[in-house]
Amino acid sequence: MVTEQHPQEGSVKHRHRQEGPQRHIVVFIFSVVLTLIAFAAVAAGGVNASFAVILLLVMAVLQVFLQMGFWMHLKDKGHLMPIIFMLGGFFIAGTCIVMALYWVWWD
Amino acid sequence: MAQTAQSLNHARPPEAGHSVKRHTGLMDWITTVDHKKIAILYLWAGGLFFGIGGLEAILIRIQLIKPMNTFLDAQTFNELITMHGTTMIFLGVMPVIFALMNAVIPLQIGARDVAFPFLNALGFWTFLFGGLLLNLSWIMGGAPDAGWTSYTPLSTSTYSATHGVDFYTIGLQIAGLGTLIGGINFLATIITMRAPGMSYMRMPMFAWTTFITSAIILFAFPAITVGLVLLTFDRILGANFFEVGAGGNPVLWQHIFWIFGHPEVYILILPAFGIISEVIPTFARKRLFGYSSMVFATILIAFLGFMVWAHHMFTTGLGPVANALFSVSTMLIAVPTGIKIFNWLFTMWGGQVRFTTPNLFAVGFIPTFTMGGVTGVMLASAPADFQFHDTYFVVAHFHYVIVGGLVLGLFAGLHYWWPKMFGRMLDEGLGKWTFWTFIIGFHMTFFVQHFLGLMGMQRRVFTYLPNQQFDLLNLISTIGAGLMGVGMLFFLTNIFLTSRKPADAADDPWEDGRTLEWTIPSPPPEYNFKQTPLVRGIDAFWKEKTAGHKGMTPSEPVGSIHMPSATILPFLMSVGIFIAGLGFMFSRDTFSSDALSFLFNNYIVTGLGLLITFGSMLMRSLFDDHGWHIEPEELEGR
Repeated sequence: MVTEQHPQEGSVKHRHRQEGPQRHIVVFIFSVVLTLIAFAAVAAGGVNASFAVILLLVMAVLQVFLQMGFWMHLKDKGHLMPIIFMLGGFFIAGTCIVMALYWVWWD
Repeated sequence: MAQTAQSLNHARPPEAGHSVKRHTGLMDWITTVDHKKIAILYLWAGGLFFGIGGLEAILIRIQLIKPMNTFLDAQTFNELITMHGTTMIFLGVMPVIFALMNAVIPLQIGARDVAFPFLNALGFWTFLFGGLLLNLSWIMGGAPDAGWTSYTPLSTSTYSATHGVDFYTIGLQIAGLGTLIGGINFLATIITMRAPGMSYMRMPMFAWTTFITSAIILFAFPAITVGLVLLTFDRILGANFFEVGAGGNPVLWQHIFWIFGHPEVYILILPAFGIISEVIPTFARKRLFGYSSMVFATILIAFLGFMVWAHHMFTTGLGPVANALFSVSTMLIAVPTGIKIFNWLFTMWGGQVRFTTPNLFAVGFIPTFTMGGVTGVMLASAPADFQFHDTYFVVAHFHYVIVGGLVLGLFAGLHYWWPKMFGRMLDEGLGKWTFWTFIIGFHMTFFVQHFLGLMGMQRRVFTYLPNQQFDLLNLISTIGAGLMGVGMLFFLTNIFLTSRKPADAADDPWEDGRTLEWTIPSPPPEYNFKQTPLVRGIDAFWKEKTAGHKGMTPSEPVGSIHMPSATILPFLMSVGIFIAGLGFMFSRDTFSSDALSFLFNNYIVTGLGLLITFGSMLMRSLFDDHGWHIEPEELEGR
């Protein structure tokens, strides 16, 4: 009786079937591996410095995507608005950085 | 359905009943979290600051009525122009915009309140205390005098040694907090709290423009926040962000200010577009022409609004390539704006147009705003701008878009929604007097300023020499400003006389209401909708009317309604920030009294203020507030 009175809540619970922890464990291990690669590239010492910088940046970007997508659930349904607004924020912040570099710092 | 509702009542345990403390009088207003009451608070506070800004404008115009006038000295004049601009934009029109948003948006989308009622109150009180702090400057050693843009190096401590600009930076910082909070609140409200069936493309246009405006606030206000922090650090803590001598760059301030400042003008005008898009269809008895193109145009204006800031800086020497790019991007904005103008015209075309007061303001808006838009395109041309820059041509332009655009829009909205906010219709006769005196006074004041500018009269000069052909036009301009003041007096008289009449406005007082706010009583009960309505199309109420229905189909049975509790914490938090701001501002001063010097120089006053604010936050975090319920018996009047 009580569940019938709240059809919305019930169906929402059923649709959002809990994902098992497996995927999160895989993502976590992957994140650790990415961190280790970045660490190793610097710690080993044999890597060309400019290559190391690029490698670190690539690892960092991958990490950001993993964090946003899996831990902050942006890959899941119903996250279009957060994605739009985050892209908007990146866009405006990027504009400010380009402005500061191009017109104020280098000029 | 009735059976379900009843069994729901019985299922509710008795202790969940509503034992809520009801405040009365002043305490009710200080503790309220009801969006409708916060709307009225925004309206009165915004109206107060609007009045102060208006008086400042009248004083400016009296000084300029004749050449070599000695009514004001140069310093007072500089303070007046600075405070006029700052007050009008940040403390006058924005709160009135927020008043209308608060009063209308939850009703238009079929919600019972905003998403965060507590934050809503906090936003209002931080705005009010920021505004009070800024205006305290008049009696505490002189108002800011570096212009509303507060350009460095003029605004650095080298050239503005008094505390004037500190009042500007700290006051705007606190008021800006309130705006940012309000913007986030409306974003969350519109994304999450629309009634069943109200998809994004079924939202009323005012809800759409509020949504986009809030998004612009979210992206633009961080820029001014950072800018104000940097300027505060320069001035009070001796940093060198804008000090050339120490490696800083004064042009950085201009960039930061206008990265915020240009989107800010769209924060101002988009809600007016929304209001006009509600008023014109209602009084033309036609649906808005080109609804989806209106939505698209609004989004495009918001996007382009972030790409044009450097058109305020053509003369700073950005170079021909940058100037050309920003010229083109600025002119592009005329395209979506033009779409909107034509859509309003086509909405009226073939409609049964009724010229009520709100519609008069809306119809007056269209040509007036278009004139401001056209001078905007003229200013967008970089070579021409080298001639127009810092002349009265610019003054005329931005008053045409802000007063002729936004303020006429706000008047339209206030007359239109007044019965919904207060339950009383404003008098139509006095409303028409308001319109005609205001719009004639407006054009008298600002139309001639185009020519003053083209003839070479600079803006921000406190006087001018005779026989430069400026005399007559300035006289006309001042008379016009007086006429606008008369228009405001008609409006205030109207409010006063209306407030003495019985509150008997009908649910749908204009009889042609199209949207959800007209389906509920005027003024609405504190829970707005007894049952959340089911939305079946654009202009939900009009759709039901054309289908022969008297009201909306409910989307839920009558049930108990959860309400947020009144709280004084937002007020206390804002008082704390206010004290902290004042304390910080005077932290480097030497006072005649040793005790005062001790309190301020050791940041004890600042710390006390922050203690109040963070203490209130702690209270909010530690003590759960579950709100209270209005039970169906109460709703049915049993």
